[in-house]
Amino acid sequence: MPVKSIRQSLLLAGLVMVGFAGPALADGTVIIPDVIELSGAGAVSGTNWRDGAMMAVNEINAAGGILGKKIEMQHFDTQSNPGVSRAQVQKALDLEPYVILGPIFSGSVKVNMALSQAAEIPQIVGAEAAEITQAGNPYVFRTAFGQQFSMPKIANYVRDGIKAKTIAVLWVNNDFGKGGRDAFTKEMAKRDIKVVADVSTEQGQADFSADVVKIKAANPDAVFVYSNEEEDARFIKEARKQGLSMPMIGETTLLSQKVIDLAGEAANGVQGHVSLSADAPIPSIQAYAEKFKKTYGYGSDHNGIKGYTAVYLVKYITEKMGKFDSKLFAQTLHGLTVTPEQTPGILMEASWDANGDIDRASFLAEVINGKQKITKILPKLGSK
Amino acid sequence: MKTLLKYAQVALVVLAIAALLAAPLVLKPYGIFVLSQWAVMAIAAVGLNLTLGYAGQISLAQASFVGIGAYTVALLQPFGVPFALAFVAAGLLSFAIGWVLGYPALRVQHHYLAFVTLAFTTLVFLVMRNEEWLTGGIYGISNIKRPIILGWSTVKPVPFYYFALGMLALVTAIVWWLLRSPWGRAFTALRENPIRALSLGIDTRRYTLFAFAFGSALGGLSGAMHAPLVQFIEPTSFGLSLSLTLLLMVIVGGSGYFLGPFVGALVAVIMPEWLRFADGLYLIAYALLVLLLMTFCPSGILGLFGRLANLIETRAASARRQSLSAKLDQKPVSS
Repeated sequence: MPVKSIRQSLLLAGLVMVGFAGPALADGTVIIPDVIELSGAGAVSGTNWRDGAMMAVNEINAAGGILGKKIEMQHFDTQSNPGVSRAQVQKALDLEPYVILGPIFSGSVKVNMALSQAAEIPQIVGAEAAEITQAGNPYVFRTAFGQQFSMPKIANYVRDGIKAKTIAVLWVNNDFGKGGRDAFTKEMAKRDIKVVADVSTEQGQADFSADVVKIKAANPDAVFVYSNEEEDARFIKEARKQGLSMPMIGETTLLSQKVIDLAGEAANGVQGHVSLSADAPIPSIQAYAEKFKKTYGYGSDHNGIKGYTAVYLVKYITEKMGKFDSKLFAQTLHGLTVTPEQTPGILMEASWDANGDIDRASFLAEVINGKQKITKILPKLGSK
Repeated sequence: MKTLLKYAQVALVVLAIAALLAAPLVLKPYGIFVLSQWAVMAIAAVGLNLTLGYAGQISLAQASFVGIGAYTVALLQPFGVPFALAFVAAGLLSFAIGWVLGYPALRVQHHYLAFVTLAFTTLVFLVMRNEEWLTGGIYGISNIKRPIILGWSTVKPVPFYYFALGMLALVTAIVWWLLRSPWGRAFTALRENPIRALSLGIDTRRYTLFAFAFGSALGGLSGAMHAPLVQFIEPTSFGLSLSLTLLLMVIVGGSGYFLGPFVGALVAVIMPEWLRFADGLYLIAYALLVLLLMTFCPSGILGLFGRLANLIETRAASARRQSLSAKLDQKPVSS
């Protein structure tokens, strides 16, 4: 017994001593950590974001960096878990960074944005939940529409484009899906469109046959599908198999390249609103998409663009200020508009308001012959 | 020799405690946060070790109790309930629910019990997610405040770390006492041979329920610390994967060893962080390490050392026996 206890204690002491060595910081570099979903449910989105961001970092470093300093970007995997993401943002903050990028999952951002706020470090996130920019945090900025901006756009399309009077909503029951569903049904009520089926599904769900039956029985004019990439694809396939004939409408994710790749033929005919798209008929975006595909061997989705433009945004603001000042960075970005003429890497003109919300032109799209086809460009909200 | 070993053992425990106390001097806030996570998770693992390692009742429901504890603290906070009170309430509520969940444990054993507790985990997750009026649903509860204990604020990372460490020490002391009381002996009897325990007059029914309830209560206390540590809770954090992680902690550390859950929690919380240098491969490396460990050492890390120690002792004993018998052989037997 004593021998065993000694071994136990020794091991415990030894393991505790194992340090958490941080990386050494070199001079002449600017530290921009990327806290992102590289495993778990958000891995598809996070990998796109990481690769987009790294492409921008490599381009900028090859061209001499920002104000003569090279960008040093480390990626910290949140495992799509809020608790882990908090630890990782803490780890990123310990590096004394200039700006932090990520994460994408709203739950994770909600946990860790208070940390970067306390440290007065700007955080450029990929999350879309409405409440993130409504908490009065002056250090959080978006790279894509919040749900409070994208849902009115898709709702207008359902009313004016599809001319639907009734609709079914199929959503994934996580904070992303629930947030989207809540914002969407509110917009439907405002437009007198009746939600005849409200179908909650699980993250990672494989079998959608019962859900399709439910929607079929409700017989709506259209179906709004709001889930993660893999689940979206599985639903579309099942819907086609059971001969669901009404239009399937989505917001960004449903029309993403990943869903089209997974669903194959079944994805044809899916339509909706896309806040960002690698298939947009805009030369700068097409050049980006081509380079991305050549570099990484797969097609970028909207998260790749988010990561890419975030890095260029940092470059633009810093060069505008002429120095590295995290606090001033946040102040400068509020109320600012960045155009591709000023910095080509931003790809499309974008504005940030006093809350950190982004405004940018967006698209209506349809999947035709296994490709996302943009049918209409919607102007910036501010330009209306 | 025995007293020397005893002193060495005490010295090592003191050294480990000193290392934990001195950690904030060398660690940055990230390291402090991870060690705080370790302390909080170790409380839940100690509870599960009691249920599984000592009383032999497998449970996949420990994450639910962590969740119940976390939600209790988070939901009581807006009403101005002091943390100490909410902490005790989290423990008592988990104890009561654990007691009720213990009833199936009286009827089923082993993997059947695992399934019962698995269903319970799913049930609790669904309640936390779907009963929005109470729990805030999938959006979770944010901005949970860290407590001020007798005027001492635990808002900053280092004070909270010491607070978590203090709570872990308290729980450890209680469990240490419990295991040395007749209760602890009864638990072991229950695990080794329930029928024999019953024949010796141990009320197996009461002890099974108590083992379940007490382990669950520690899960609840761990949750009560988890909520102010992360300052945000949501249902998915308390799903099956946390239950499995806690089970992993107990088994990898060495189920039924007093220090097992401490080592196991180190492996489960800190090893993935430590392996991050392997970039995209770090979770694969972690999974492989656990796989290898379980293949070659099913009794856990402390089990491995226990086996080694036994081996050394046996060898030493047989060497002694041999030398003694050689001496005996030399001496002519006088009639």
